[in-house]
Amino acid sequence: MKFGWQLFAFLTVFYIVVDLVYWLLGGEIVGITAMGLSAGLALIIAFYFWFTQRRIGDNLPEDRVDGDIADGAGELGFFSPYSWWPLAVGFTSTLTALGLIIGWWLFLIGVGTLVVSIMGFVLEYERPEYQSEH
Amino acid sequence: MSTATTSAPAQINRPNIVAVGTIVWLASELMFFAALFAMYFTTRAVQGPEIWGESTALLDLPFASINTTILVLSSVTCQFGVFAAERFQAKRTGSLLQWSKWGMREWFALTFIMGAFFIGGQVYEYAKLASEGLTLSSNAYGSVFYMTTGFHGLHVTGGLIAFLIVLVRVFRAQNFGHRQATTAIVVSYYWHFVDIVWIALFSAIYLVK
Repeated sequence: MKFGWQLFAFLTVFYIVVDLVYWLLGGEIVGITAMGLSAGLALIIAFYFWFTQRRIGDNLPEDRVDGDIADGAGELGFFSPYSWWPLAVGFTSTLTALGLIIGWWLFLIGVGTLVVSIMGFVLEYERPEYQSEH
Repeated sequence: MSTATTSAPAQINRPNIVAVGTIVWLASELMFFAALFAMYFTTRAVQGPEIWGESTALLDLPFASINTTILVLSSVTCQFGVFAAERFQAKRTGSLLQWSKWGMREWFALTFIMGAFFIGGQVYEYAKLASEGLTLSSNAYGSVFYMTTGFHGLHVTGGLIAFLIVLVRVFRAQNFGHRQATTAIVVSYYWHFVDIVWIALFSAIYLVK
């Protein structure tokens, strides 16, 4: 986290400086906007990492010189063992995008099935019977 | 400073990977809107002030300001929902009118209604502008106006679906724990992001013109 926020804070300053130089040298508006918002991109991440580091403290193994891989062991989060839903989401996204080319009828079918597959994806592990087993 | 000599797996306080992933994704979303802003400003520079002058005269600033205020306030109600989620309170403990005792459900439902009101207002605004002759294909201003505000509107609609998903997940969960709180928090990040993008869009389109 510590290195992370410092890296992105550096990038924020870098993009601002480059943007200003570009602007003063008479750059056009697309580049000015793109680099200005690149600074925003880096700033969002830098701020969040800095804020998180302040909240959780300084003790992450990746921030310590004497840290080992094993120090980071423990629960990282919840990961789905396997799931068919991402495939369904990918397939229905394809239908939706193809619908934009082929016709509104396919687009509507795509959107409808996409919403169903997203629901299946995000609610897969929210079933009451699943929660009582684990 | 804690030492790592204990044999038991010391529970280190890790950043939430779902939240970090959401933030990184939102940062990339900012670049998506960067392309839209760049398109808007370039078209304005290329087309000259006449088209902008006559097209922006059609915009209804008071109406859009009210709509914007509602979207900004919905970020506030969303944040109250996050505070409730952080104390793991899904439901209200008092009556519906005692808003200080609301849980995450009530706050997010209110946020949903306000977001839906914003979208409804935008649809009304589109219909009004279309009846006055400003459409996606009428002129360059129409194209960039509908592209920028339309993509933002789609993001708000996506956020509304996300609120529904959060409410369903909380409804299905037997107890309100870290998983449910995380979902609520990352959806609130997204909502605040969409809100901030709208403030920038509103300033560029309705105030700067």
